Amino acid sequence: MGVSNTTSTLTSCTDKRPAASWLQVDSSSAKVVLSGHVDVYSLQGVWTQVRQEQDAWLAQSTSSGKALVFDASQVTSLDGSGFAFLIDVEQAQQKAGAQFSIVGLDARYQPLLHEFEPIASLFPAPVARPQRSLVVSVGMASENLLQDAAGLVSFTGHLSSDLAWSIRNIRQVRWGDFVSTAVEAGINALPIVGLVAFLIGVILSFQAAIGMKQFGAVSFVGPLAALGIVREMGPLITAILLAGRSSAAFAAEIGTMTVNSEVDALITGGLSPMRFLVVPRVLAGILVAPILTLYADVVSIFASMVTMLAYQIPFSNFWSGMKSAVDLEDIGSGLIKATLFGVVISAVGCLRGMQTGDGAAAVGISATRAVVSSIVMIVLVDGIFAYISYKTGF
Amino acid sequence: MSDSQSSIAIDVQNLTIGYGSHVLLQNLNFSVANGEIFVILGGSGCGKSSLLKNLFGLYQPLAGDVLIEGQNITTAVGAERQKIMTSFGVMYQEGALFGSMNLLSNVTLFMEEYTQLTRPQMDLLARCKLDLVGLLPYESYMPSEISGGMQKRAAIARAMALDPKILFLDEPSAGLDPITSADLDRTIMDLSKNLGFTFVIVSHELASIYSIADKVIMLDKGAKGIIAEGDPKVLRDTSADPRVHQFFNRIMSKEAA
Repeated sequence: MGVSNTTSTLTSCTDKRPAASWLQVDSSSAKVVLSGHVDVYSLQGVWTQVRQEQDAWLAQSTSSGKALVFDASQVTSLDGSGFAFLIDVEQAQQKAGAQFSIVGLDARYQPLLHEFEPIASLFPAPVARPQRSLVVSVGMASENLLQDAAGLVSFTGHLSSDLAWSIRNIRQVRWGDFVSTAVEAGINALPIVGLVAFLIGVILSFQAAIGMKQFGAVSFVGPLAALGIVREMGPLITAILLAGRSSAAFAAEIGTMTVNSEVDALITGGLSPMRFLVVPRVLAGILVAPILTLYADVVSIFASMVTMLAYQIPFSNFWSGMKSAVDLEDIGSGLIKATLFGVVISAVGCLRGMQTGDGAAAVGISATRAVVSSIVMIVLVDGIFAYISYKTGF
Repeated sequence: MSDSQSSIAIDVQNLTIGYGSHVLLQNLNFSVANGEIFVILGGSGCGKSSLLKNLFGLYQPLAGDVLIEGQNITTAVGAERQKIMTSFGVMYQEGALFGSMNLLSNVTLFMEEYTQLTRPQMDLLARCKLDLVGLLPYESYMPSEISGGMQKRAAIARAMALDPKILFLDEPSAGLDPITSADLDRTIMDLSKNLGFTFVIVSHELASIYSIADKVIMLDKGAKGIIAEGDPKVLRDTSADPRVHQFFNRIMSKEAA
């Protein structure tokens, strides 16, 4: 609002007359008078007004021999926008087969008149956006999906071979990157993982206790919650937080490097971006995910213990109940799952980063895709794991 | 042009710039006349680009004033500052075009914000500006689809969107081949001659400076100030200052080789 005020006062204080005005002499001749400073501000409003008058005049009966004169003798300064206005009026004349001429234009602006010729090129026909049929859309979507799957398979292959390489050439792995990634993804994630794990522990126990109380089975809440946390909730909470924090970070980081041609520089320098960028991050993911999961388990179970105090279950009862329900196998199963989550999260983040297109927006898209794909993969891995557990009893 | 030559577009008074306690350049005094092509030159790291950013108000100077068409940009705030900001256009070193928009939208963006023109009018205006820099056929291209030289020209078209009187260009010819660079010089001179723009250009490309500059100031890192001022060819031939001599000479010998 403030801006429009400024601009209107600008035009009014520089010149009282409008920048352009329409003078109709008769049905076959008319005149447009430009005056003062003709620029993008002084033209707003009068541009539309003059063009409407012109169109009305052109539509009048005598169609042949209509001549419009552009009088520029009162112009104090003419900007690029002034020429655009002039061209707009001229184009309308040309379209109607009428005549157009300019008088009184200062000599210094004359060269610019030819600058824009032919003016028809300034009025391109609107390009009709090709409509895609449903079949084509479905086909393209399927192709994208297939390409994505193929990309994932080839990336998995590359990653496996490079991880194997890193075991054989352990000194050549970039351990500096590994450490800084592990610190960023691991130690810096401790507060948020702790907070979420604690709250989940509290909520899980309370929800379970409300139901169990009706059957007088409150004492079973502890073992139940602990088992759920160790086998499922701990790994899952950690994985989802890692996906949100680190997978997105990897994608954005590698994506920015891709946009800035840094990845190209690695390739042309004979360094494999897989070994240089992906391997340290995936190794960090493998290290960090189970440790964070163990931490989340401990915090969550502690939260559950504290919550159960409200139901008069002392720590010692909780502990012994938990020991009978949860064994090392359960913890191990949770940690193995967490390790797989770690691989998936960091690998998907890196993959999406490497697939980044051009420009700043592409980095954002990659980060989003990294989080979404990571979570889908987490659920997928979890499902497969649940099936294996069911079949083998592990 | 002669009638407007008398007035001053930019007046710099006792300007000191730097970061925190680190002073880059101190006590600068110079002025840019209307319609002039004014070039700031100097070796790398002497504060050319920083000076430019202080001139158009992106950075706040440590001391002193910058008057743009008589209005002090260093002290202006709010709507007043906004008004000064729209009276000039800026081309950043890498073009800084908005990557998510095509060239036409890059140019119309500022018009959408500051004018009440209709969509077809804005499009026509933007096409004229693109035509002035020779990019009319590329209006629907994305910035990533055109070359570096074209990006810089598109950035000039965007800088001209609101019909400013002054254009600030940060290293327009850096990283361009001689032909593209000469094309860009041609565009700058045409705009200056035909539309009366005042240009303030940061550059260290001597070939370009000789062909376009009406006036140069030369900055020096050690002196933390201006060590030479005037017509570049006159400076080349007559300056007694060894630093100025060396700056021009080094390039000269390279050109002769």
